[in-house]
Amino acid sequence: MPRWGMVIDVKRCIACWGCTIACKEEHFLPPGVFFNRVLIGETGKFPTSSKLIYPVLCNHCTDAACVEACPTGATYIREDGIVVVDDDKCVGCRACLVSCPYQQRTYYDQKVKDREYFPGQGKTEMELLGEKLYPLKVGTVIKCNFCSERVDEGLRKGLTPGQDEEATPACVNACPVGARVFGDLNDPDSEISRLIMEKKGKQLRKEFGTEPAVYYID
Amino acid sequence: MEKRNELEEIMFPSDGSGVKPYEWMIQPTRQREWIDDKGIFLWLAFFFSEIGAGLYFVSLFYEYKAGLILGWLVTLILGGVIHVLYLGMPLRAWRMLMKPNTSELSRGIWIIGVFAALGFLQIVTAGSFNIVFNCIMGILCLLIISHGFATMNVIRALPAWSSTMVLPLSVISGVWIGHQILQFMFAVSGSAALASGMEVWAEVFFFVYFLCILLYVWGTWHSNEIGKESIKSLITGEYSKISLIGVLGLGIVLPLILTLIMWGGNTNGFLIFLRLASVIAGDLAMRYVIMKSAVYTPLI
Repeated sequence: MPRWGMVIDVKRCIACWGCTIACKEEHFLPPGVFFNRVLIGETGKFPTSSKLIYPVLCNHCTDAACVEACPTGATYIREDGIVVVDDDKCVGCRACLVSCPYQQRTYYDQKVKDREYFPGQGKTEMELLGEKLYPLKVGTVIKCNFCSERVDEGLRKGLTPGQDEEATPACVNACPVGARVFGDLNDPDSEISRLIMEKKGKQLRKEFGTEPAVYYID
Repeated sequence: MEKRNELEEIMFPSDGSGVKPYEWMIQPTRQREWIDDKGIFLWLAFFFSEIGAGLYFVSLFYEYKAGLILGWLVTLILGGVIHVLYLGMPLRAWRMLMKPNTSELSRGIWIIGVFAALGFLQIVTAGSFNIVFNCIMGILCLLIISHGFATMNVIRALPAWSSTMVLPLSVISGVWIGHQILQFMFAVSGSAALASGMEVWAEVFFFVYFLCILLYVWGTWHSNEIGKESIKSLITGEYSKISLIGVLGLGIVLPLILTLIMWGGNTNGFLIFLRLASVIAGDLAMRYVIMKSAVYTPLI
């Protein structure tokens, strides 16, 4: 069984936010909701300061704090390691949201649903289409799912996630500099495993102890 | 212009909730879900569960049925209902019974369920103050009192909540307020001797409560840099007024003065009422600032 993961090369990332936008398009996310973010910070002091660029998303942790905290079992880890939320079971207690040390979850309430990209102008065709194609349930928690629909559909078609675009998360496809690599962490010959080995991939804030499946290299 | 501001308010809210995708979690970020907006329900739910169970607990020692009934009702109706109202999908609340093996929230719902059933039995049956029954109910009460803070305590991402002192503080605050409510009930029901006799325990509970708050502040301050940030916001930051007036003034100084006045059992109904009102306000403030000041570690 594969365990899907991602490697992000922070040296390659140019902070174009292509991943952020591709993700919003893929999941038809309303204004103010992000499954993918590119964090920009600084470290040190002039003249030795440097800029930090970190694309972040749900880490699909092995010891996910959100899974532990969920009282209904709505948040669970699939066999392939992807952490998903079953919106039929979610009660909207937000224990997962508060527990996540990476803060990569969003509570989807009526206020968020009613947001328009052009306030006062009504929802655009695209927004209305999104509500039909990718219906989100009000009163539940939403998050990045590693584009599991694409991965599953791709696998059904005999494609390889991480290699075939159709079976690969939208953020990975959109990255113009190839900073993101998606693949099977359990396969020692996969590109992702090779990159983690060769470039000593690091998990973001490893000290949280949640064993993220997203690695960073530089 | 107005429309543009509306979109700006969504993207970059004036409350500083920071949805700017490039500034997310690069500074210590405050926990919002369990205190802001509808999250205020959770603060109230935890509080009512705590004082209801506290009252029930203390009433067991005095075998006082009115206290049991009031405690049971406050825990279930105020605590329970407000809890459910907080949920995004209240009609699915029963699903929270599904994962007691890992979820503290789920365990709490089970405990409240057992407390509801056994408490009802204890209230309606004759000879209900059987020692075994009392012990079981006492343990259940302590678990309910600590349920709110226990749910917060297991969240390792927030050092201000995962502090070791959170649970002892929650237990003593529940017992202390429960004790105060019962003392007031005795005072107004004409049992002045009982109310006076309870004063010695009021002195003990008050000082333990005060000590626990001190230890919580000290322990969280020394836990790590993020814990320090939380305590800074309590003492000198944006919550300093609530901490000073609510927690220190109403929760500690005024009860201390009243306790000293009533020292040795020299009680009267008005002073007991004043202290009860003061400790309730103080405890609400204490819970509010603890919930409000918890911050996450920055990601980069």
